[in-house]
Amino acid sequence: MGNDIWMVLVICALGTFLMRLVPLLWMQRHLARRKAEEAIEEMPTWLSVLGPLMIAGMFGVSLIPSHPSPTTWIATLLGVAATYVVWRFTQSLGWPVFAGVLVFGAVVLLG
Amino acid sequence: MSTEKVMSRPAPFVAGLQDGIPLLGGYIPVAISFGLVSLQSGFGVWETILISTLVYAGASQFLFVAMVAAGAPLWLVIVMTLLINARHLVYAPNIAAYLPPSRWWPAMMHGLTDQIFALALVRLPKMAEEARLGWYAGVSLLAWFSWIFGTALGAIAGEELTTRWPFLGEVMPFALPALFLVLLAPRFNSRLWTLVLAVTIGMAFTLKLLGLPNAAIPLAAVSGAVLYHLMKGIWGQGSKNDG
Repeated sequence: MGNDIWMVLVICALGTFLMRLVPLLWMQRHLARRKAEEAIEEMPTWLSVLGPLMIAGMFGVSLIPSHPSPTTWIATLLGVAATYVVWRFTQSLGWPVFAGVLVFGAVVLLG
Repeated sequence: MSTEKVMSRPAPFVAGLQDGIPLLGGYIPVAISFGLVSLQSGFGVWETILISTLVYAGASQFLFVAMVAAGAPLWLVIVMTLLINARHLVYAPNIAAYLPPSRWWPAMMHGLTDQIFALALVRLPKMAEEARLGWYAGVSLLAWFSWIFGTALGAIAGEELTTRWPFLGEVMPFALPALFLVLLAPRFNSRLWTLVLAVTIGMAFTLKLLGLPNAAIPLAAVSGAVLYHLMKGIWGQGSKNDG
């Protein structure tokens, strides 16, 4: 890897880190200011709405199997159903994910 | 904290590790693919591991090695990598209110990936303030190390692994949609949120199918936010219950 590529790598790494860090510092300042003004410590509504919607976006994108075929689509559908059903019963994090992967894997294996 | 409480609950760091376990199914297979692709693109083993350690952002890493290998202008590599990662801009502000004061938080933002954000947004508000730093450290370090470990595995033995166990590489990544679903499920608690989430999911899904994987998440989320405000105006629901 040449020096120029190293430089690009460092800029990309630093840029990505700053995109994760700077908004935190901005928001912390915003919250501190609100506190100083004795206002309610609230984040802007658009921001609090955007958070869950980003997760919804990630979910939508991740639903597409890496190798789409009738079998993997059915596996996805049943895997999602299994995850949801187990979540309804356990309200936990690990078991529903485990069940989803298990059902998805079983359908792919049998398909 | 009483002894009984200490006995009945795992330490925050351990709880973070436990919550991070489902992530491994998604991280390790993808990291193995990255290690393999990076080596095939002409990068060395240590260079590949360093990219995963420093950039630590899946999609943009694949793009980075592909563009460099194709001889793309370096300024374009930087612009495209940062553009793909721009969605990270909204993550930290969303969890900032749940982070108690500590000098460690700025450094820990390196670990704020899509999945860690999704987990943190749902889990942090539900735990005691003093547990949050330990929990976040546990979950984010496990994810980071699994990404680095998977990359190294892919760079060193990726070809052999994918030929011997092709099935695992296809099945394990389903842990990610399953995890996102579990994190979203409690949000389907009102007519407004159910509609907005369904539309956002459908839109992200369709955009990815149309060949726009990187724009899909931010575009769908922004459209969902616009729909949220529109429908809130029409249905006139209380912001506290729906926010």
